[in-house]
Amino acid sequence: MNPFSYTRPVDEAEALRALAEPGAVALAGGTTLVDLMRLEVMRPSRVVDLGGLPLDKIDVSSGSITIGALASNTAVADHPEIKARFPVLAEAIDAGASGQIRNMASIGGNLMMRTRCSYFRDTASPCNKRTPGSGCSAQDGYARMHAVVGGSKDCIAAHPSDMCVALLALDAIVHVKSARGERALPIGELHTLPGNQPNIETTLQAGELITGIELRDAPFAKRSRYVKARDRASFAFALASAAVALDIAGGTIRDARVALGGVGTKPWREHAVEAALHDKPASKATFAAAAKVALADADPRADNAFKIELARRVIARALVLAGGVS
Amino acid sequence: MQNVSGPCRVMAFARGWSPERAAPGELARIRAHLRGLAAELVFESEHGTWLCRPDDELVAIAPLGRARFRVADDEDAVFVVDPAGAVRFAHCQHAPIRDTLAAALEQATDVMLAQAPLHFTRRAWLTTCVVSGFALAVLSACKQKVDPSDPPPLEAARPPLPQELDIVLDVNGTKHPLRVEPRVSLLDALRERLQLTGTKKGCDAGQCGACTVHVAGKRVLSCLTLAVSVQGKPITTIEGLARGEQLHPLQLAFIEHDGMQCGFCTSGQIMSGAAILSEGRATDDAAIREQMSGNICRCGAYPNILAAIKAARS
Repeated sequence: MNPFSYTRPVDEAEALRALAEPGAVALAGGTTLVDLMRLEVMRPSRVVDLGGLPLDKIDVSSGSITIGALASNTAVADHPEIKARFPVLAEAIDAGASGQIRNMASIGGNLMMRTRCSYFRDTASPCNKRTPGSGCSAQDGYARMHAVVGGSKDCIAAHPSDMCVALLALDAIVHVKSARGERALPIGELHTLPGNQPNIETTLQAGELITGIELRDAPFAKRSRYVKARDRASFAFALASAAVALDIAGGTIRDARVALGGVGTKPWREHAVEAALHDKPASKATFAAAAKVALADADPRADNAFKIELARRVIARALVLAGGVS
Repeated sequence: MQNVSGPCRVMAFARGWSPERAAPGELARIRAHLRGLAAELVFESEHGTWLCRPDDELVAIAPLGRARFRVADDEDAVFVVDPAGAVRFAHCQHAPIRDTLAAALEQATDVMLAQAPLHFTRRAWLTTCVVSGFALAVLSACKQKVDPSDPPPLEAARPPLPQELDIVLDVNGTKHPLRVEPRVSLLDALRERLQLTGTKKGCDAGQCGACTVHVAGKRVLSCLTLAVSVQGKPITTIEGLARGEQLHPLQLAFIEHDGMQCGFCTSGQIMSGAAILSEGRATDDAAIREQMSGNICRCGAYPNILAAIKAARS
């Protein structure tokens, strides 16, 4: 691991000043950053440890829940109000990583998680995300774990987070602060497509700090589920996963949210499936038909073409569970 | 303290080389010496790029690119990168080096086999020998062929002088003052500085769970935790789990149910299991398996580990 300078601010103002320094990165749980620093995939000159900031509260109110960016994944997944009002979020977090990693990893850090693309993690391989302009080894390489949608000729690395998929289905709001002020953005506007700049992964600006995530109650939020397919029963990244949320009244689907993990270069919202569910009877037939329209624009490699059918079946399964039909 | 896990990597940009053109037995010779050096070799020529590990088949890998290492098209070059990723030796020359590489590795192995000074730790000795032995060997093997117009060795990448911090770690109820670089993991601080070697280094990448300890009562991976980030928080390792001579119920259950074979993962299994028991997460077999999925056992002692956790629960 390369040497770096370390600071541990005790308040937000000091943290924002430190993060505005060139070459500074934020350290929260460390499960991504320390791993990638050891591999020398990330070589920051300054590490700003956020562990001293009071940003781990989970504030529950009648219309919303706001989760501090430093709340642990475990704390969020275990929270009784989150389990009751936003079950897909608790399920998605529990489906990810291991107990130890969920204890360490923060909610804000999970939003900023880096891809598990093996070429990105291997500093001997060209990778445009790690070293802009060096090339993409996955294009003609082994791409079984890679994205089938949202890729470009410069990058097809899959976004690895489970939590972000659930947040996308819940229309979560991300709160951000910097020395210039505060802003809030829908989760769908946080992650970017790789295009010709795969090294840029989010719309966050230099010096900005995620302070929290806001979940607003919605008719579909309570009836929400997460289904994940992976190579082993636990502690593996998604081959394909689906977060779905349904608002059903009188047997008819009023509103739906469908998001996919493991298949996109960012957490992937499936508007076409949502439209296919709208105003239809909540039945197994509806769910199966709607799932079939997912990933119509997919551009798979030979190694990962199976993900398309897998994702469709995962969506159908999640819809059946959320819809409570048999 | 540096992270010295993993092999040294020798990188050779050698024109004209390919596995098909290797002399008979050359690969076997190179492998044997890599094994002795605890190193791996990456070869690159105009014909391709290959990774050579002591015990694996030669594999073609993505090109490193000469330009990235500032090696010109009419040069051959050798780099030695230590386990911490720093370039410890760089040499490039116009004369081809491919005929001398196996010989150089052989000489380096001889240096390695020399008696280690007693005051060196095994690991420090290995790292030092690999780097200095290989550098000397390559230089002497190349000596006859050095072209006076060769460029001088590339300057090794020199990181800035490391910052050191005075911290206090509260481990198993005892406060330990330490001076560490910020990049030192909690795992390395426990094992290398406090001699608490019950916590094991498996993958050093958050994938195996062998390094599981409790920080502020929660099970975490000490390999992905910076020591400087857990000052002031109570840390419990396997050495602190027993109450005096009285073993923790899960430690007794592991003995009773034979919850280990080689034992390397055991301290992590027990630290993880003790946490899920105290948190009430060990509700049924499926829950225990799910909760313990971050602790890998290569021997496959899982049925007995499960039995031990169930026994300790009741």
